[in-house]
Amino acid sequence: MGRHVGIVGVGQTNHSRRRTDVSQAGLVREAVDRALADAKLTIEDIDSVVVATGPVLFAAVNQPEKWVVDAIGASLKPVVRITSGGGTGLAGALAGYYQVSSGFADRVLVVAYDKLSEGALQYSISTLYDPFWGREFAVGIMGFSAAYWRARMDVLGHTEEAAAMVAVKNRKNSMNNPYAHVKKEVTVEDVMNSKPLAWPIKTLDVPPISDGAAAIVLSTEKLAAKSTDRPAWIHGMGYFCEADNAPERSLLVSEPLAIAARRVYRAAGITNPRRQFDVVEVQEPYTCFELSYYESLGLCAPGEAAELIESGATQMTGDIPVNPSGGCAGANPIGAAALIRLIEAASQVMGKAGDMQVPGAKLALAQAGGGWANLRGVAVVGA
Amino acid sequence: MPANRVAVISSTQTELRGNWSGAQHIDLIAAVVTDVFKGTGLTLDDVDFVFDSGSDVLDGRSISNCGFLGAMGAHHKEESRIEEDGLWAALYGVTKIASGAANVGLIIAYSKPSESDPNAFYKSQVEPFYQRPVGFDHRAASGIQAQRYLADHGVSEKQLAGLVSNRWASASAGRRVPLDAVPDEREVLASPSVARPLTQLMMSRPTDGAVAILIASEDIARRTAKTPVWITGMGMSGDRHSFATRKAGTLEACEAAATSAFKQAGWSKPTPAVAETSASSAVTELMVLEAIGLARPGKGLDLTGDGKIAVNKSGGSLPADPIMATGLVRLAEASRQLVYPAEYGLKSPTTAIAHGAGGVGMQTHCVFTLEV
Amino acid sequence: MLSIPDTYPIDLKPFPSDLSMPYTLTPGRAAGIFLAEIGNKRIVGSRFRDGGTVAVPAQDFCPKTGDSEFDLVEAPSTGTLNAFTETEAGIIGLIRIDGSDFDFPHQIVDAGYDDLTVGDRVEAVWGEGAGESILGIKGFKPSPKAPVGSIKPLENPAKQVEVVPYRMDLHYEHAFGPYYGRLFDEIKTNRRIMGVRTSNGEGALLPPRELDDITHKKTGTWVEVKQTGTVRACSVIHLQFIGQKQPPPYIYAEIILDGALTRLIHNISGIDMSRAKELVKPGTRVRAVWRDGEPTGSLADISHFEVIGGEDERS
Repeated sequence: MGRHVGIVGVGQTNHSRRRTDVSQAGLVREAVDRALADAKLTIEDIDSVVVATGPVLFAAVNQPEKWVVDAIGASLKPVVRITSGGGTGLAGALAGYYQVSSGFADRVLVVAYDKLSEGALQYSISTLYDPFWGREFAVGIMGFSAAYWRARMDVLGHTEEAAAMVAVKNRKNSMNNPYAHVKKEVTVEDVMNSKPLAWPIKTLDVPPISDGAAAIVLSTEKLAAKSTDRPAWIHGMGYFCEADNAPERSLLVSEPLAIAARRVYRAAGITNPRRQFDVVEVQEPYTCFELSYYESLGLCAPGEAAELIESGATQMTGDIPVNPSGGCAGANPIGAAALIRLIEAASQVMGKAGDMQVPGAKLALAQAGGGWANLRGVAVVGA
Repeated sequence: MPANRVAVISSTQTELRGNWSGAQHIDLIAAVVTDVFKGTGLTLDDVDFVFDSGSDVLDGRSISNCGFLGAMGAHHKEESRIEEDGLWAALYGVTKIASGAANVGLIIAYSKPSESDPNAFYKSQVEPFYQRPVGFDHRAASGIQAQRYLADHGVSEKQLAGLVSNRWASASAGRRVPLDAVPDEREVLASPSVARPLTQLMMSRPTDGAVAILIASEDIARRTAKTPVWITGMGMSGDRHSFATRKAGTLEACEAAATSAFKQAGWSKPTPAVAETSASSAVTELMVLEAIGLARPGKGLDLTGDGKIAVNKSGGSLPADPIMATGLVRLAEASRQLVYPAEYGLKSPTTAIAHGAGGVGMQTHCVFTLEV
Repeated sequence: MLSIPDTYPIDLKPFPSDLSMPYTLTPGRAAGIFLAEIGNKRIVGSRFRDGGTVAVPAQDFCPKTGDSEFDLVEAPSTGTLNAFTETEAGIIGLIRIDGSDFDFPHQIVDAGYDDLTVGDRVEAVWGEGAGESILGIKGFKPSPKAPVGSIKPLENPAKQVEVVPYRMDLHYEHAFGPYYGRLFDEIKTNRRIMGVRTSNGEGALLPPRELDDITHKKTGTWVEVKQTGTVRACSVIHLQFIGQKQPPPYIYAEIILDGALTRLIHNISGIDMSRAKELVKPGTRVRAVWRDGEPTGSLADISHFEVIGGEDERS
């Protein structure tokens, strides 16, 4: 097998609804500066750069890595952009991981961002749809997501109340996250009474629209010590897909996520995720997805997600805390969101999650996803 | 690179046409994905991952890979979209196999610029505050590169036209780029001015097409390929975004990418038997050959005769530039020339390079060294 | 050379699609102040603290070193033409403002291409009502006697422009290909919805396609699917957004037509929307309602789906 790869530095911006003080490139620079400082490195120490962002139409710059590369100061270094829907941050980290693991590079900087205040979000996401087949009916990805939540409600018991509990938990946890910009606790009643946007999705089931960037430094084992005595080692990572309009697609349990989890768990030696993981970070574009992820990730059996959230097990104080950072509920710069989940998971096992720290966390799971709920990734990091 | 060697075991491409008006993206993609397994004994079941290159802006859809997964054979497999020329997707795939995490990878790149406006594709890459409003784009960059190259090296427009004519003739001699006619020097010079001193025919011609290659670990490659084409070195590099701030008269990122690839391959001198390169214009075609080190600065034209290095036997990217797939087509072409040299009138070449590029004024470059 | 189904006769013109997206782009500090100072007819640059490199127009990051620490400076409106070309956008030159370490591109005005020589002295031509755009400078014109200007500290910089409105318009002509071609031709001329059988012959794939997504094998024969179907998933849309095609509320539905295995996305109408949650749910039976008037050969020829009684045929 390839070389061990560790996350030796992380950085993210203070996310916000709209940053009018910096350009997209400036936003990227902030996260890069923080990740490099955290890794006690400069850009000179970096062999290769991976940029991950959401779709081009979010911000009107095609192949934006070619623009932001100037702000990273990475001129004449290897640079490549990965874009794989909302989970692209993890897909980018995966590309960086293989550059280090294979020996192509010793240290890779992975940076992910989106500046969603710049574009028309639902309009641009709606262009995900086939221009011939359904685009005129698209409501971003929200109409679709709500529709399949409605289906899961009947079959798997993912009720509005259960999803509301996800909102309550994640918004509460966001209070402890210094980088989150939505900081307001809510109750189940607040969520239930919030305005429907694409029922069953209501306003408080929806994360904010954010400007934000995140960056990590991946390193070989040999060079890791220069940055930290406690890297987050990557035990496994994968990003799987499902053909969007294939006949077998049930969209009840997420099959690509279950496949990704199975592969990554095997590589990481995970046989009982609920017992073995100390903490989990999931990328929940809407509250309903967190319930679905519990099941696809094997934290509970299909149909038991509502019970799991009700039991309190996924709270900070539970046996399997999910999203101590607040997840996307606190900030959702889409292209960066998956890398932020990986950063939060890594920070937990590096013991530097601050007020979000799960005591003694040694093994963490990060999940990511995008597209029509058909691109799904998983990473396992350990101390 | 580490001990795990990686080889190209199969490659295929559609014809590169000005307009595949009767086929959709998925038709082109499905065709190459079906064809690439022929003769390998492998099937899609053996593929561990699918990495693909295409452009949302060219395709007119966001996360366009999402809608093409079925055609790509990626259903329930590991998949990633690399929104850069397909050669970068191949590079990613090689690292994955080299790390030992996978054995067989399917790399796909496709393009249908006929459905949109390639000028809008490039224009939208340019920074939106200073450059985009004044009309600076890939054409302006190419024109300025040409003005400088001709002045610096005493090369004439007529010589550029001759190069173009030769490249189109090479493409026409092959089977993969259908051309109604090959323009002569006079026609190249007389075609409409695009970015003075460059005419339309001195620019690369956007074409529709798809390409797929299979890469595999050493043991699989030895069992499945007639002649495994070993990928012995890879380099990529990106120059500054702002064309005006790049080093004038050279392609520094191309040099950097080539240097890394040669170093990995242990090549002390860049003397491949076969070279397949990408270019946005007749001038950058020469600049690339020089930046890679195949010719001295200003002497790229010397390579166009029947020298020791077979340069762009396929015709290269001037007669057929399936944007986003061009570099991967070069890898497919170079591999084929190593495996089936007779088809190209070559003796028995053992080394090759494949080059891809991206961006306005060729900002990014990727170079592979290949050996059999 | 490859088996690509484009020999199938298609006499459909490509499907036009326009994307017209509004944006509010943030230029950041350096460009933001540069744009703000356009109204004052001052050209702003950055002097980077690491080495004193000067970039005009102003940049947040040194093009040479990536340094982000800089002071804003006022640059002269004169410089040298270092390179030029002529495209459909006009004559584009690379201009080196006096005192700057880098070129930048702009229009060359008041001169023909053949009048120009590399090394020519040039000076800025300001537009009327300059605004907050680089085009407040119309371009640069040859000015053989222009004195060599120098970089000065920027006194009283204007407040930075925070947002630049922008629009990206992209036009597409999407090919139908043989499968979508027949599908929409049948919709247009016969009001029939045609799929193809899966590679193992069970049920129909809609839209039709050459290869089965799951098996990646050739799909089977064409088959007409029914115009009735079952809602697989649905949501009630209240959200309003830019680019929306109809006013809310309405129902977004993914429908499996009888005989098909895959989804068709459409709207369900003709019900009391205040009771939408109870009237339309997964399992609800629906039927296509065709639009009156000239058919277009697109999904828009189906006006909507209406709720009908009965059970899912497959259950």
